[in-house]
Amino acid sequence: MAENKEQRIVGKRRGNVFGFWFFRIIARFLGLRVAYSFLYLICLHYVLFDRQATNGALAYIKRRFPGKNFFVARLHVFRLFVSQGKQLIDRYAAISGNAVLDVKRLGKEQLAELLRQRKEGLILLTAHVGNWQIALTVLKDLNRKVHVVMRPEDNPAVEGSLNISRQDDFIRVISPEKALDSVIQIMHAIKEGDIVAVMGDRKYSADALAVDFLGDKAFFPYGGFLIAAAAGCPVVVVLTSRLGYKKYLVNVHNVFNPRYQNASRKQEELRGFVQEFAVVLEKYTQEYPYQFFLFSDIWKK
Amino acid sequence: MDEMQEKELAAIRKNLKELLVTSLCLEDIKPEEIKDDEILFGEGLGLDSLDAVEIVVLLQRNFDLDVKDMLEGIKIFYSLDTLARYVLENRKK
Repeated sequence: MAENKEQRIVGKRRGNVFGFWFFRIIARFLGLRVAYSFLYLICLHYVLFDRQATNGALAYIKRRFPGKNFFVARLHVFRLFVSQGKQLIDRYAAISGNAVLDVKRLGKEQLAELLRQRKEGLILLTAHVGNWQIALTVLKDLNRKVHVVMRPEDNPAVEGSLNISRQDDFIRVISPEKALDSVIQIMHAIKEGDIVAVMGDRKYSADALAVDFLGDKAFFPYGGFLIAAAAGCPVVVVLTSRLGYKKYLVNVHNVFNPRYQNASRKQEELRGFVQEFAVVLEKYTQEYPYQFFLFSDIWKK
Repeated sequence: MDEMQEKELAAIRKNLKELLVTSLCLEDIKPEEIKDDEILFGEGLGLDSLDAVEIVVLLQRNFDLDVKDMLEGIKIFYSLDTLARYVLENRKK
């Protein structure tokens, strides 16, 4: 399974070892707010000179803020970049011990109860919104292993600096690049009672369905719902958002129980499940317009 | 493989063909049209990774088998015959 070229390029161009080192030093000795202040210049550079990154963001911005002219649309892109930069700095500072984040957790008891009722595991569906890695922290004391389905980071600097795959022993990474391998691992994990975290907004192959999202048809992956329907497990939607300085919210938004009503219409029923998720995500973008960090034209097939 | 095992293998193949057609909703294919050594993914039946999800569940529910090993999985899921032989050798007695 491979993402399209555009997605790869955007991922590769953003962030490098020096950049993370620079922000680490600034955050450590001068504080987070000073580190944020450097972002404005860097993000302006991206908006002016990094056409691929900007175009990736514009696909979303043009639909979230329709009818805006060239300059206003880029102003929104700039705000989106700054917002993401702040969340990266926050996360990096938290991992390196230079900041303690105030993370409010909504619906954690509901998730714990769901797991208590089941021997098998479940699918945790999240998206590239907010500081999604923080969503995983809510799972830490649930006493279940967590498998994150994600491609090994394209950018070694991001992986090394954010420590995504090594931060905790309870988190393991399943790469979706070898499709059959990942299916076997995911299904085995669910049978063993583990949690499998899947990104519901980025497709790793052609396995996507067109649903309504921000006024157009967008292509969302349906693997998470397909697995849940086949394995008979729930899909729990968890989204994070930055509420303010060092303040985050991890919210268990919805619990879906995708089951087929008519096995011969699986595709259409899957589309219905995916559409429900897209509605959740659209509501999220209404509330937090500058925290949707997919940077990929999911409206293009 | 003795005659009895051959018979068992044939019965498992037949069962698997029916289960595949039902579970994967293979609308234009009848179970008897699937060859004993039909390749499952890519060529042959043309299944994809998402169909693999249904096959894993099919093995769990019908034969109480859990494929854990990735390398093993690739061999098992190669063809209908390899799948049937895996079931024959590993199903609970």
